[in-house]
Amino acid sequence: MKLPFYINNFLSETGSISRFITRFFGQLFHPRYEIRQFIRQCYLIGCLSFPLIAITGFIMGLVLTMQLRPSLIAYGVESQLPIMVSLAIVREIGPVITALIFAGKISSGIGAELGSMKVTEQIDAMEVSGTNPFKYLVVTRVLATTLMLPLLTVLSDVISLYGSYLGVNIKGHTSLQLYFFQVFHTLQFSDVLPALIKTVFFGFAIGIIGCYKGYNSSKGTEGVGRSANAAVVISSLFIFIIDLVTVQITDILGLN
Amino acid sequence: MANKTGENVTLGFFVAAGVVVLIVSLYLIGKNQSMFGSTFHLRARFENVNGLMAGNNIRFSGIQAGTVNKITVIDDTTIEVDLLIEKEMKPFIRDNALVNIGNEGLMGNKVINIIPSRYPGGIITEGALLLSKSTPYPDDMMQTLSLTNDNVEVLSGDLVSTVRRINESKVLWQILNDTTLSEGLRVSMSNLREATVNINNLSASLNSVISDARAGKGTAGALIADDSVATHLKQAISNINNASKESLEVLTKLDSIVSQTQTDLSHGNGIANALLKDPLMVDKVNASIENIQKGTTSFQESMEALKHNFLIRGYFKKQEKKKSKAKK
Repeated sequence: MKLPFYINNFLSETGSISRFITRFFGQLFHPRYEIRQFIRQCYLIGCLSFPLIAITGFIMGLVLTMQLRPSLIAYGVESQLPIMVSLAIVREIGPVITALIFAGKISSGIGAELGSMKVTEQIDAMEVSGTNPFKYLVVTRVLATTLMLPLLTVLSDVISLYGSYLGVNIKGHTSLQLYFFQVFHTLQFSDVLPALIKTVFFGFAIGIIGCYKGYNSSKGTEGVGRSANAAVVISSLFIFIIDLVTVQITDILGLN
Repeated sequence: MANKTGENVTLGFFVAAGVVVLIVSLYLIGKNQSMFGSTFHLRARFENVNGLMAGNNIRFSGIQAGTVNKITVIDDTTIEVDLLIEKEMKPFIRDNALVNIGNEGLMGNKVINIIPSRYPGGIITEGALLLSKSTPYPDDMMQTLSLTNDNVEVLSGDLVSTVRRINESKVLWQILNDTTLSEGLRVSMSNLREATVNINNLSASLNSVISDARAGKGTAGALIADDSVATHLKQAISNINNASKESLEVLTKLDSIVSQTQTDLSHGNGIANALLKDPLMVDKVNASIENIQKGTTSFQESMEALKHNFLIRGYFKKQEKKKSKAKK
């Protein structure tokens, strides 16, 4: 039976990604460990993404608060603004928006970098020189994205909450102490931990899709651009799919 | 090499910052749920926990004191709630404190309130069972509110009917529109004021009389204050009693006389019968009176004859002269 082209292409792509993931886990626990490269990638992926994440997080908290305020005033529950904003940021908006920004910056960067290395046969050269390119290029980057995104999300949440605090104080007055007391009084482990765990999966998806697209890039420089674009699109889509699955799981576990 | 070291330092700072923020956040959340620090357990039993869940806050006199640890169904009417209380609250919670289930705000989460008793009590011990105090549940409150609404509806209906009757009342509106009524009322009030003044004066006078009487002044005072008057009064009353007794005896005698007389009259005996009923007696009396008149006339003639006698005529002339002098 011959399947339609797009279905065939989709299934083929899914199978290739699965093989790529399997290969990643296969390489992950076998020496030699590329520690220095991993740390460098953590720096490049984590530290250099922080300013962008911080700015977007700050604006997100501020805007969300200013947008929610009129509705809450209409219901006479303006004092609940810190509680609502903190829950929204920590549970959903913080992780998802941070992951999307991160995907836009990192996944495309990895896709383009590995794609250009592929089309310029640098990866083949590494193999010839005795370096395991998968371990050196893919494992380090995927590990870095997996570990850095949760940290970036935590920092982004805090900056968003500070932005929200400023948003609350634009038309009202709440002390920083009272604001953060209300926030931490509202938050529970069931709010923080599922959100933190899902960012690990977001990070892994962003890294693995970026690496896969770059590592399997072809057709010259045109293919590099296409790989970078596809990496962003697919990793963004994966973020929402993982988010949906996480919400279902936390709901089943009674954590919502 | 220096560049790589700089990168490492930046990365280290970034990772450390992220981890510290994460740990602090988790600690603050955990602290709110009484997961860190020393705690102790208390118990409370309710008939209905009304949506209380594990993790809900516990407040002692409004201060955050712990969280609900566990909720267990004991039987069909009893639910036991295990309370995880911060140890620093232990010296302040007494064994006679009461617990109830309240709300954090109007629509907030459920909260357990520990209410201290006004009376002295012993220090609470680990696992002690606190007495629960039932609070009105929202459903009960809504039912009461519904009843109140019904009553208000009835009252408003009655009020509308009353106002309508007032509006339709011609007499009332005539009274309200009567401009002379106010003048009449004003005059009445003026009269009332005067009457009040008079009553005040009267009461002042009465006060004066009463105080005089108390002081023993005047007749009333003598009556009230003088003991001898009372003695005299007693004597007078005693005399009146004696007189009435004697009168009674006289009346008794008179009664016997009258009855005797009546008996005589009926039997035709006695003087009364002779005087009232005997015609012969009347004739005899008339004859006697006639004889007396004749005798009196003869006596007058004899006396006239004596006046003209020379022996005693002088005496009568002296008498006439004295009378004429007295007239002048």
